[in-house]
Amino acid sequence: MARMPFLNIDRAGIERWSRDVFRLLVGFMYFQFGLLKFFPDLSPAEMIAEYTLGQLSGFALETRTALTLLATLECAIGVGLMTCLFPRLIFFLLNFHIIGTFMPLFLLPEFCFKFFPFAPTFEGQYIIKNLPLFAAAWILIFPIAFPLREEDNQAVSPGND
Amino acid sequence: MKQTWKQTAIIVFLLLFALQTWMTYQQYKGSGLSRVPESRHGAGGFISSAHASVGNPSPVGSLKPVQVSGENLPMYRTTDELRLYPAVEKGLRTPFDLWRYYGKGKTTFGTPVLPMRFDQWIEFHQKQKPELMKDVRAYMNSRFNFSGAVIPGQMMSGGRKAVMAGPVARLPAEVESYESLAGLTAEEIRRRDLFPYKPLAHPIQTTAHMLFPDSWTAVHPEHKRIDVDMDFPDAYLPEFPPPLFLTTHKELGDISGGQEISFDNYYEIFDGLITPEQMEGLKELLRPSPTTWFNQTQHRLTSQPSDGVACLDCHVNGHTNGAIELGPDSRPNMARLRVDTPTLRGNFNLMQLSSKRSIRSLDHFAEIEEYFDGDPGMQQAIGPRAVKREVSNRMADFNAIIDYPPAPKLSPMMRLIPSMATEQELRGEKLFHGKAQCSACHYGPAFVDDYMHDLKVERFYVGRPEGPIKTFPLRGIRDSPPYLHDGRAPTLHDAVEFFNLVLELQLSRSEKDDLVAFLLCL
Ligand code: HEC
Ligand code: HEC
Repeated sequence: MARMPFLNIDRAGIERWSRDVFRLLVGFMYFQFGLLKFFPDLSPAEMIAEYTLGQLSGFALETRTALTLLATLECAIGVGLMTCLFPRLIFFLLNFHIIGTFMPLFLLPEFCFKFFPFAPTFEGQYIIKNLPLFAAAWILIFPIAFPLREEDNQAVSPGND
Repeated sequence: MKQTWKQTAIIVFLLLFALQTWMTYQQYKGSGLSRVPESRHGAGGFISSAHASVGNPSPVGSLKPVQVSGENLPMYRTTDELRLYPAVEKGLRTPFDLWRYYGKGKTTFGTPVLPMRFDQWIEFHQKQKPELMKDVRAYMNSRFNFSGAVIPGQMMSGGRKAVMAGPVARLPAEVESYESLAGLTAEEIRRRDLFPYKPLAHPIQTTAHMLFPDSWTAVHPEHKRIDVDMDFPDAYLPEFPPPLFLTTHKELGDISGGQEISFDNYYEIFDGLITPEQMEGLKELLRPSPTTWFNQTQHRLTSQPSDGVACLDCHVNGHTNGAIELGPDSRPNMARLRVDTPTLRGNFNLMQLSSKRSIRSLDHFAEIEEYFDGDPGMQQAIGPRAVKREVSNRMADFNAIIDYPPAPKLSPMMRLIPSMATEQELRGEKLFHGKAQCSACHYGPAFVDDYMHDLKVERFYVGRPEGPIKTFPLRGIRDSPPYLHDGRAPTLHDAVEFFNLVLELQLSRSEKDDLVAFLLCL
């Protein structure tokens, strides 16, 4: 079958471009959802997040302060993803963050599942959607945080055959 | 170079985006869905039209018109140091210092819907309750030293329980004594966070509602809650069951004979002693009806469906067992003050009933009692108490003959009879009517003025002002610990320390003991 004409264009360019768009969009989502947490009453995740943070801190941390910390974390990840600044730090924060976001599934299962683990509630789905986001962020930030160097290539290759 | 340019563009975009979010948020505040009351700055916003049309009075003569602006509209708002109520669902725990918070509710109305399946609800509380109770105990222990010390030789009127000694409220480590604390100004006590009598919140204010003491749930397991237990130790609560005295049968003393008056025994005990109307009233006071959390539906805090609660389940034998509720006078539920059950003794003499609602008659009170059915939405789902006028009237008829315990040392003028009183009690009486100024608000046959007073206790700590509260009578006061509307003063000594601080009386240690000795005579 004849190749479709538009497939003859610069494939590497498209891949780079869509990767950039993808990175910007994922980053923006982190940023925006984080931003909302700065403002009491705006984030739909407020209750779950506050309560989880409360529980993790033994209800010692004032929940509003805790939420502000979380908001800062998410915004930092978002900005980092979008601008590629401090990629290693962002990579570290990202992994730290995902652990936190998944805590409610275990700490507040009654609020996250109609029945565990098959039927997540709205809140549950909201949390689970972080998983693909997290995977995406990994794909996008890992190569930037830890770019392949010449030596690495050599070190790795012997195992490859 | 190109990279930095891109990064700068992205950051500028994000900053603008954040700015726009912030600006829209300022308008969102105070709108119907928002927990955040209207913003201080700028009367504008999604709900601004009503304000805009009443603002800007027209100029009169040469007087400069007062512009209704964002600056003077929220006049006397004192929310600056307060935090916004946390976002929580039914069943989730709330901060123990909820009095430091403020905010609006999503709505005034409740729903009979649980945030999860009923079996999950039970499971959730099975998990949460032990952790919560551990923290509740730790918190109460941080506030009070429940040492178990009693006042030697002083028993409550039924003779079955000792009167506890105090003060038990803990002082901050940096304060040497109550006397040195009283030497500081209100401003300083507030700034250094030293006040030992901050309010008490309900241990779990998302469900809140009626919480019974251990002595009660031991014999009434149907009132044991799945989510929380009483935070006060039994020793610091009223005796159970308390004696019941009737204004109409003083010669008989305690009518109850040491039993809890119940549906099963009331007829036998009262038949031939009280009028048919009082009899019917008593029956109704003993008849349980479904409440917000004690009922037949799944919107409940008992593992089994519940018949509900009767008036005399808290006001046992016409007195109190120390059960707590939230004052039903405000919304959101988070803003409602914790109130412990007052006695019904001597209610016949009171012109004002309940801490903040200023209810003016016993009939009215029995008819509307809002901690049962103050929420019409709930009523539809759970079943209203729906007491008819003629019935609530009769409940009040019984209520109106519940007397205070005898006070043999008091004269008809409510003064100590000198030959019966000790030196210390007489000194206390003198202070009560003199230096300590108690009688300015506590006078007459029940030692109450029937006014509501704003004691402005928030001068001493950072918290939401509680506003005017009714003076509670002091007749028979030894029988109804803990003191003040929320029980923050567990003993009479604490109540005296409280007033010594709040009224800035500078009483000495021995003067305070004298006052307590006098209060024990009332
Ligand atoms: C939770 C247990 C509880 C039950 C059940 C209960 N009460 Fe009360 N009662 C209270 C509390 C708490 C207050 C204080 C309310 C306030 O300060 O606003 C109170 C206050 C009162 C007062 C005012 C007393 C005063 O000194 O101001 C009266 C009268 C009264 N209740 C009658 C009733 C009647 C009648 C019923 C039954 C319809 C009833 N109560 C059921 C706990 C209870
Ligand atoms: C300005 C009026 C005023 C003065 C003066 C005053 N009280 Fe009170 N008293 C009140 C009010 C109002 C309450 C209820 C406050 C609350 O529940 O928060 C109260 C409550 C009490 C209670 C608790 C009653 C209960 O049933 O819980 C005691 C005890 C008490 N006062 C003792 C005293 C003593 C002792 C003095 C003098 C040192 C005094 N009061 C002076 C207004 C006053």
